[in-house]
Amino acid sequence: MSCELAEKGRSGVINPIFTCQPCGAQYASIGIKDCIGIVHGGQGCVMFVRLLFSQHFKESFEIASSSVHEDGAVFGALNRVEAAVDVLLMRYPDVKVVPIISTCCTEVIGDDIDGVVRKLNAGLLKEKFAGREVHLIPVHTPSFVGSMVTGYDVAVRDFVTHFAKKSVPNGKVNIFTGWANPGDVTAIKWILGEMGIEATVLFEIESFDAPVMPSGNTVAHGETTIEDLRGTANAVASIVLNRYEGAKAAAYLEDEFGVPAIICPSPIGIRNTDILVKKLKKLTGKAIPDSVAIKRGIALDALADLTHMFFAEKRVAIYGNPDLVIGLAEFCLDLEMKPVLLLLGDDNAGYAKDPRIKYLLENAGYDIEIVRNADLFVLEDRIKNSGLALDLILGHSKGRFTSIDYGIPMLRVGFPVYDRAGMHRHPVVGYDGAIWLAEQMANTLFTDMEYKKNKEWVLNVW
Amino acid sequence: MPYHLFKCSQCIPEREKHAVIKGPGEDLSMALPLGYLNTIPGSISERGCAYCGAKHVIGTPMKDVIHLSHGPVGCTYDTWQTKRYISDNDNFQLKYTFASDMKEKHIVFGAERLLKDNIKEAFKAFPGIKRMTIYQTCASALIGDDINAIAAEIMEDMPEVDIFVCNSPGFGGPSQSGGHHKINIAWINQKVGTVEPEITSDYVINYVGEYNIQGDQEVMQDYFKRMGIQVLSTFTGNGSYDDLRAMHRAHLNVLECARSAEYICNELRVRYGIPRLDIDGFGFEPLSSSLRKIGLFFGIEDRAQAIIDEETAKWKPELDWYKERLKGKKVCLWPGGSKLWHWAHAIHAEMGVDVVSVYTKFGHQGDMEKGISRCEEGALAIDDPNELEGLEAMETLKPDCIFTGKRPGEVAKKIRVPYLNAHAYHNGPWKGFEGWVRFARDIYNAIYSPVHQLSLVDIRTDEAIGDAGFATRKSFSDANLPEEVKNSETLREYTGKYSIIPDLQAKTHPEFARREPEPAAV
Repeated sequence: MSCELAEKGRSGVINPIFTCQPCGAQYASIGIKDCIGIVHGGQGCVMFVRLLFSQHFKESFEIASSSVHEDGAVFGALNRVEAAVDVLLMRYPDVKVVPIISTCCTEVIGDDIDGVVRKLNAGLLKEKFAGREVHLIPVHTPSFVGSMVTGYDVAVRDFVTHFAKKSVPNGKVNIFTGWANPGDVTAIKWILGEMGIEATVLFEIESFDAPVMPSGNTVAHGETTIEDLRGTANAVASIVLNRYEGAKAAAYLEDEFGVPAIICPSPIGIRNTDILVKKLKKLTGKAIPDSVAIKRGIALDALADLTHMFFAEKRVAIYGNPDLVIGLAEFCLDLEMKPVLLLLGDDNAGYAKDPRIKYLLENAGYDIEIVRNADLFVLEDRIKNSGLALDLILGHSKGRFTSIDYGIPMLRVGFPVYDRAGMHRHPVVGYDGAIWLAEQMANTLFTDMEYKKNKEWVLNVW
Repeated sequence: MPYHLFKCSQCIPEREKHAVIKGPGEDLSMALPLGYLNTIPGSISERGCAYCGAKHVIGTPMKDVIHLSHGPVGCTYDTWQTKRYISDNDNFQLKYTFASDMKEKHIVFGAERLLKDNIKEAFKAFPGIKRMTIYQTCASALIGDDINAIAAEIMEDMPEVDIFVCNSPGFGGPSQSGGHHKINIAWINQKVGTVEPEITSDYVINYVGEYNIQGDQEVMQDYFKRMGIQVLSTFTGNGSYDDLRAMHRAHLNVLECARSAEYICNELRVRYGIPRLDIDGFGFEPLSSSLRKIGLFFGIEDRAQAIIDEETAKWKPELDWYKERLKGKKVCLWPGGSKLWHWAHAIHAEMGVDVVSVYTKFGHQGDMEKGISRCEEGALAIDDPNELEGLEAMETLKPDCIFTGKRPGEVAKKIRVPYLNAHAYHNGPWKGFEGWVRFARDIYNAIYSPVHQLSLVDIRTDEAIGDAGFATRKSFSDANLPEEVKNSETLREYTGKYSIIPDLQAKTHPEFARREPEPAAV
């Protein structure tokens, strides 16, 4: 038996699992109300990320570029940031929060975005926009460090660091959801609501699901306000649902304001949701109401129909954001499935120390390979060259051709999902997420059984 | 001067000269916006970068090639799986993308060694592929890695492989157009003339500026083959690397997207004396005259005319069915570059729609010249549009449909304007005679979608919805049509299949006898 955390064994990337840091910072920025980020770099760093968001959500989000051209790359491009801030503020009178998000280009040439923010605060904002609340926040996200996951983590920390301000305790719990979908936020807020817990959810992104209305224009944007962010310093505690996507901010609040940081396992599946619910109870003293127990029961009822009949022994490969991958693997084990290959798409040294990964490797009880700094070609290579047999793939749309070409059913989960409709509306977390995930996994397997005529008649009497 | 300053852009007056309204009786000298200038920072322009112009638009449609970007992983990831340029080799170029994955240590100490390892790994991972393109990015350009030298070293070590290098970092120019230019010139400098092709016809062309979106190239290639023309190479959709090294042996360059690929045609003319013929695969008349021009060049007009007659007879009644129902509908033609002039006149003349606005993200003044001259009086032309201007234009013009990119399409949706994907198409291909009917069909389906009609209703106050349980496109489109049109026995809706490319790929083409070689002079 071999269980290991390995490297992929190639220096380059074939079919990346993640994009780079500025995307993560942009993803965090769209969760804030009245916020339009300026990405300081070439225009592609924004144009393609906006496209990616619109592929995933089928919505358009507003993010600006400083449009660095050759002259800027040679002589420095801080004047482009100054112009961008001015133009953006003039044309978008409601904008209050403007993160200045760096890229590889502007980090290599050494543009001092902290310095230009100081200059703009002392100059342009005072002179031209006096009386208007504007927050310019430098966010350093060089593309050659980390990944979109760390970019998100860094940006959340920088937003919280900028705004958090100690005043009177607000009795709220900070919930750092990590890189979530609107459906996830709804599922978490349902639990909080039923337990009567007041919370600041970072970020409030249910409104990403924007309606088409008979008049006017509804632009998709987040709803987390400056007040929400300020208040994070006055919370009872911070609960981090994805340790790689929000823990930095929680650690800052603990160090600076004594707000305890609680790292939860990602609440994917029943067991991890139980842990979250119990932690919430312990933290707030609030009882776990019947409604939560009933929802849990409905979830268990749904899982009982599926697990030993259909899921047992099914071999699964999972890739995507690390907390998602680990949470899904843990849920699969509860469902009697065998996650055999987990792909983590960046070189974060912390994975080796992650207690969940250690526990998985030590206790799974069968061969399991976890690859750090992985790409999607690792998945294909194991299938094609190492004879890895798989029943199911869990991952985002960028891996779709591995599923298609090797005939392995795949449930789309994570970010981005653009080749299935409406997945962002559904949760993977909470008891609701457990139901959704299990039933979608089952339906994915069922469709495959029918398509391949593989014991499709079993379903006659199920 | 009929310049148009948007309300939302009054605070950036330099934008005024980037938009014009084509007024009554005005000619181009009075109505030409500025173009291809640096973007105004913070304006939320729709432009991309020069890296994507080179790698994503022109390089990657080449089908039998490892496309490797030298830089951090994001450039590669972001430009992967956002296009619909298919190929007849199972879409290798869509499925696989390669990045050298530059990290901080490489920024400090250089990444040439990393790149070298990468190249070897990539060839090892795909032993059947012996060709590679490498694209510089902002990061590798700024640290000064000598990619050409690394490629030369590898080619010396591995004589069976061939590598092309394109140095077009993201910051190189106002938009993706800078990258189009750079890769055109790099290709002719490095690769053209390094392979001698087998010539199988008396009539040999390069098909240039064609990217095989949803199979466009395969549609057009079918016509060329039916005329007995050898398509030596396609630059670059469904194109083969080695075929493109042999471009110097064509008799004629047939150029489709002049915005992105006229540079290589012009160089081929200067260096090899190959003439350039601009053609147009969109629209019955432009396509017919294009095929005729090619026929005329080679003295095979009869072959061209036979195709035109056959295809027109087959598809014109279907095109006209839609034209009757699209007459007078207002559309905004908001593509990236060349389609504004490819489509402007043709959709008006052949589908009956009125083009109330054209825009271009990365086009130059020349594109606007052509576009404005071909669109309707009163049309609003916008260079390098931005988010607020696009909204203001749509709210003022109230178009029935816009043709633009995926993300701006989401903006339009929210103000109840249906959109069609001008870059990737909805249900293409849209080139060719049948393709043009498919385009008309897609416009019709968008404008008359019952769901779109519902989005205009305010459930709180409107009674308009009535008690009927459903509506159909026809109930809207045919409501005011004359009886003879409605009941016409000649006009008909589109009859083709969902996917038309597999049949084309399976098709065999007629053999034409070659001319006797002329006796050598004594």
